[in-house]
Amino acid sequence: MSTTLSYDRLSEEEKHSQFMERIESGEKIEADDWMPKDYRMTLIKLISMHGISEIMGALPEKEWVPKAPSLRRKLGIMAKVQDEMGHGQLLLRVAEDLMKPMGKTREEIMQDLFRGDLKFHNVFHMPAPTWGDAGLIGWLVDGAAIITQTNMLKASYGPYARALKRICAEEVFHAQHGEAIIMALAEGTEEQRALIQDAIDRWWESLLMFFGPASATTTGTSKQDTTIKYRIRTKTNEELRQAFLDKYIPRVLSLGLTIPDETLHYDKEKQQWVYQQPDWNEFKNIVRNNGPKSKDRLDLRITAYENNAWVREALSPDGAVV
Amino acid sequence: MTNNGREFYQEFEVFSSKSNGEQVQHQFSLLAPNEEIALVMAQENFMRRQPVADIWVVKRSNVRKMTQEEKGSLQRLDNKEYRTTKGYGYLKKKWRHYEQNILDEKEILSWGGDDKK
Amino acid sequence: MKSAQEAQADPKYKTAVTELLYQLADDDFIIAFRGSEWLGLAPHIEEDVAFSSINQDTMGHAAIYYQLLEALGEGDADALAHDREAGQRKNAILLEEVNGPGHYLKKPLYDWAFAVVRHYFYAQAKKVRIESLKNSSYQPLADAAVKINMELYYHLLHWKTWFTQLVTAKGEAPERMKNAIDKVCEDMEGVLTLGPKGANMAALGLIEEEKLLTQRWHNEMEKVFEPLPISLPPVQAKRGNGREGVHTEDLNSALATLGEVYKQDPVASW
Ligand SMILES: [Fe+2]
Ligand SMILES: [Fe+2]
Repeated sequence: MSTTLSYDRLSEEEKHSQFMERIESGEKIEADDWMPKDYRMTLIKLISMHGISEIMGALPEKEWVPKAPSLRRKLGIMAKVQDEMGHGQLLLRVAEDLMKPMGKTREEIMQDLFRGDLKFHNVFHMPAPTWGDAGLIGWLVDGAAIITQTNMLKASYGPYARALKRICAEEVFHAQHGEAIIMALAEGTEEQRALIQDAIDRWWESLLMFFGPASATTTGTSKQDTTIKYRIRTKTNEELRQAFLDKYIPRVLSLGLTIPDETLHYDKEKQQWVYQQPDWNEFKNIVRNNGPKSKDRLDLRITAYENNAWVREALSPDGAVV
Repeated sequence: MTNNGREFYQEFEVFSSKSNGEQVQHQFSLLAPNEEIALVMAQENFMRRQPVADIWVVKRSNVRKMTQEEKGSLQRLDNKEYRTTKGYGYLKKKWRHYEQNILDEKEILSWGGDDKK
Repeated sequence: MKSAQEAQADPKYKTAVTELLYQLADDDFIIAFRGSEWLGLAPHIEEDVAFSSINQDTMGHAAIYYQLLEALGEGDADALAHDREAGQRKNAILLEEVNGPGHYLKKPLYDWAFAVVRHYFYAQAKKVRIESLKNSSYQPLADAAVKINMELYYHLLHWKTWFTQLVTAKGEAPERMKNAIDKVCEDMEGVLTLGPKGANMAALGLIEEEKLLTQRWHNEMEKVFEPLPISLPPVQAKRGNGREGVHTEDLNSALATLGEVYKQDPVASW
């Protein structure tokens, strides 16, 4: 039995060990439950970054929403990018509830983002200059996201697990949406095929970086041990990257496309992919908002947020009476 | 005084039922400045791919939740067979002796059917 | 007329129904585009998601009309959407207007008040029109109207909620809304008109008379304005009539964006 009537009278250590017992037996933690500070902070960091990355991730694709080359594709990509905003909504709600005891709201999340304190995913700092990139994002960036998100479907934190369940159900559509664009290009003209090959060449390093460094020694920081300890995720960064390579390399090659890494091969003995390491210093640089598109995308978000401030003020229940 | 629009972010819990006659279920929560806006946000945020027959939005502050300590009050001993059919299973054998069947759940709930015969 | 074949056999009828369909299609297509430029830029995330659904619905309606045109022998629906010059477009000028200063990818100083008023007034005009089209003499259009009507309830509810709340809100909102209402009314007549061929359309039973539809729109608006502290200014068509192919530079730039990829190879399959 994990809770007793005299719960409030337990010492911090007793609460902590009960907490660990709960998550180790597969119980879910809810927003108002007691949780170690370290657990709360780990979740806030992980989920607010995940949430804000969905929002920032809508921006590279947003460019292609009006430009999509047919009515069908226009509708498909609108629905896809809408979902990404929706994922941001779900995840930010989860993060906001965790931050509530600290007096923080969505306003602070946005301000943290604008100040550069809240980071977003490396892939969303990159340019998406052609329709090929729109397809590639749906296919491989979402593919990578599906690998990391399904890895957390059984997360010990109930609200996160429930949000991920909704998200992953929609990711199935995203995967097929991306594949549909790619398939049309792959079976199309020389120019169309070149659009995807160029996009793969452009995105390959970012895709490898997507899963984060294999260990803290690579970049100095890695939260993976803590998240595994707290049963938020099960696989390490490297295991996730390998799973991605397992699933997607054969699909890329089957379309007659190539991967821009001559050293890439499968080591049968070790049962893993051997690949050229991306530049992890560049990774650190990118996530510190020094990527090629970091400033533009932040600007876009800041402009929109500030430009609509009057709407939020006008409808605030005890809002501005000027 | 302005509050920088901070109060715009009121929390609402969203409930919905799938079809007419179905019970409502909790879906998720959203932020909106008032119930009217919350209501027009609800379907598209959480149920845009599924049928919905009704939506309720409830201000989070109007939901009285249990504390972790209070959740302890939900536990019961597993000794209440007398409250369930499990405690009366022996009747089946008894009735068989009188060449009658037991009135179990399946049998009794079948009586509600439209037997106008 | 039961079918496209029947309509095609009657040149006068075909001209009128095609004209009407272009107006309906081009209106929805361009306003859905303007709406989609807002994606990620709405006042809050929840609204971003809700607004996008409305844009998807509206783009879907445009696709239905373009398909009806395709059936009438006007050419491929995607070509009709992506590959017609501004001068061939029949949408109202109000609907092509940019969302505000800036660009959807750079410094978009978009005006939420204008978005709410334009979309609300348009949704109401569309509702009036769709109600009439349910009885259109062109059966495929009447069938389409019944389907499209289902989604308009939500569009109207959504925009009406934002509209009435912002008009009566505190701070600078009422002033901004008033300015937006004035701006929208300057070109709203262009939305309400059926253009020079409108009388023909009515005579052939495709849709009711423009005067009647306009009156219905005013009646609906009066009901909404009645409890509000503001009134509806007269509607005009200050910048001309889009139904006659008169457009602004805003449409050219919109079409360049909308067709950018399509025009790279119009015969390719995308
Ligand atoms: Fe996502
Ligand atoms: Fe996705």
